[in-house]
Amino acid sequence: MLRRSVMRSLLVAAALAASFAVWASPPSMIKIGTLYAGSGKFSQASTRQYDGLKYWAKEINAKGGVYVKAFDKKIPVKLVAYNDQSSTTLAASLYNRLITQDRVNLLVADYGSVLTSVAIPLARVHKVLLFDETGTSGKFFEPKDKNRYIVLTGLPTSSEWPKVLADFMQHVGIKKVAILYASNDWSGSQADTLNSTLKSLGVEVTFYESVPDSTSSYSTILRRIAATNPEAVAEFGYSTNDIAFLQNYASSGLHFKMMFVPNPALHFDVVRNAVGDAAIKNVYSYVAPPLIRYNKQVNFGPTLDRFEAAYTKAGGKNIDLSTVAGYNTGLIMGKALAEAPKFTQESLRDSIDTFSGKIFTLDGLFKVNAEGAQIGESLPVGQVLPTKKGLALLPVFPLKNAAAKYVYPQPANP
Amino acid sequence: MLKGWRSTAIVTAITLVTFIVVPKLYDNQFLLFNMMMYMALAQGLNIIYGYTGYLPFGYVGFFGAGAYAGALVIIFLHWMPLIAVLVGGLTAVLFGMVLIPLFRLSGAYFSIASLAASEALYYVVANPHLEKITQGPYGISMPQAYDANAAYWTMLGILALSLVTSGIIRRSRFGLALSAIRENPLSASMSGVNVVQMRSLSWLLSAFIAGLAGATFGWYISVFYPETVFSLTIGVFTIVFILFGGIGTLIGPIIGTLILYGLYNYIGISTPQYFQIAYGLLIVLLVLFLPNGLVSLLKRRGVDVP
Repeated sequence: MLRRSVMRSLLVAAALAASFAVWASPPSMIKIGTLYAGSGKFSQASTRQYDGLKYWAKEINAKGGVYVKAFDKKIPVKLVAYNDQSSTTLAASLYNRLITQDRVNLLVADYGSVLTSVAIPLARVHKVLLFDETGTSGKFFEPKDKNRYIVLTGLPTSSEWPKVLADFMQHVGIKKVAILYASNDWSGSQADTLNSTLKSLGVEVTFYESVPDSTSSYSTILRRIAATNPEAVAEFGYSTNDIAFLQNYASSGLHFKMMFVPNPALHFDVVRNAVGDAAIKNVYSYVAPPLIRYNKQVNFGPTLDRFEAAYTKAGGKNIDLSTVAGYNTGLIMGKALAEAPKFTQESLRDSIDTFSGKIFTLDGLFKVNAEGAQIGESLPVGQVLPTKKGLALLPVFPLKNAAAKYVYPQPANP
Repeated sequence: MLKGWRSTAIVTAITLVTFIVVPKLYDNQFLLFNMMMYMALAQGLNIIYGYTGYLPFGYVGFFGAGAYAGALVIIFLHWMPLIAVLVGGLTAVLFGMVLIPLFRLSGAYFSIASLAASEALYYVVANPHLEKITQGPYGISMPQAYDANAAYWTMLGILALSLVTSGIIRRSRFGLALSAIRENPLSASMSGVNVVQMRSLSWLLSAFIAGLAGATFGWYISVFYPETVFSLTIGVFTIVFILFGGIGTLIGPIIGTLILYGLYNYIGISTPQYFQIAYGLLIVLLVLFLPNGLVSLLKRRGVDVP
């Protein structure tokens, strides 16, 4: 009996020593696992986001690696990335592979909520911290889930996005608003927030309807919206929806005092090239980095100007929000490794809480709540206005962030 | 006759044992789960397409219906996931019953109509006005039910059920009746086969398997959107796998899934830039040289393929 208990104690001690050795001995490299969509409907944004992350890894390795506080030394990083082709089933399998076979030290999600969604339960059950770059669905961060294994590094949750927009509508005295949205999580949650916020501000929502994601003709819907006499129209959808909507609006002969669509903030050139200057001029949208630059406030990592110069010099394409989000995720991971006293997932998560709300990156204030949702950033309202270099989406509200005076009522385009 | 049953039992046993043993050697459980799922779906599709000749392009509709029904009873009624899986299967059967009038159509018309029905169900589920019931476009989140291991073994059970069902049908009078319907419904009817009853029964069986698989898939991933479980890719893959292996056989869908889904993952990881071209070429070659699937190679040599 005594011998058995001694043996058991020895085994426990050996196991503890082994587990200590796992984090006590520094790895030769920090493996960061991620996915990107090389094809399919998320490919454009996803590959740019991946490019941003790759650039961060290249940059940090050129400096000798990332500083890991648990080992008090710099360790090179290695990206392990697979192409999920915008497929959730393939993505789930590949996330599983990254965790169980490649045994990555850090896990980074692919672009957007759909491709991030399948990583969440896997990360949670395997107790791996998921760095969520742009999966902004509020469902991922519900307090009742008590999930500590996720952190949204970039944008705020999508339901937060239109709050400044509602303030702007109230600021210019709009009393009647029509809201149209595509039936997906991202668009629906924005529409829902705008609808409830406007109602609480005493603004009448004259039209509130959804259309399928695949909608490509809005002519009839625009007539129905016009029949409700709104002063402002907000359309929420993917870029294909926004493009079709703006094209149909331009050819409809209708005129509203304010027209808002979200995607110029994310893919300004794509939307502009598709609809033409005449159709996008004076349209309102959100403004996010790189269209807004927090150069003066940045206290961690390079400013957007410096990043853009270095990135394009290194051969990268023009930066957009996805590129910034990818790079910013690298910065946050680096900071977490530099602050965590132990090389464990739990310690990394705890360390994020210690610098949350204290660092301002090129993407904005990094601040997460207990559920890991981003609450530091907000999206100002912008308007497509003429500049010396041609049309540009400029921040116009809140006024303290404004780079131009808004034009309201929006003039009718020729 | 006995020899036929024996080969069916051997194929079933080998398949199931493989999925019991491989997880001990290979860590990517979700890949194995997906492979089982596609095999079960392929066997389910085999029951309606392989045996009766009716090809439902919208087969994924049953899968999505099962996924949603299973998830909703877990979220709202807090039922055990295993019961939720059963509810998923039965909901797919219910959806299948609603669609029985589609059998008034045939050939491409039936295929397209089933696709339209699946899309219609997708839009109903994703309708924001039904948010309180289906969660609308905002998707399902049920982390409280997440249990990857239990879902894996459940999918193994569903695969076993689909293999046994498909094997029994193939060797039974029911299977003969279905084959007669496939060859010529009018002649089958003249020979005393109750065409409507037999065809409907195979349709509902097929729907039941897809519904079970869908509910288990939803349980496994526990966070999903309407577009995840109503994705046409799932239906297209199932059809391609069964065509590649060989329709109307037990082993054809297994081989088709094993090779094509294996390749899908291998090429997708090793050389993703060549994925589409490699996959497309493979299918073109198949259609040109092996229109009856890989098992036709064995059949040509007189092998009794189970």
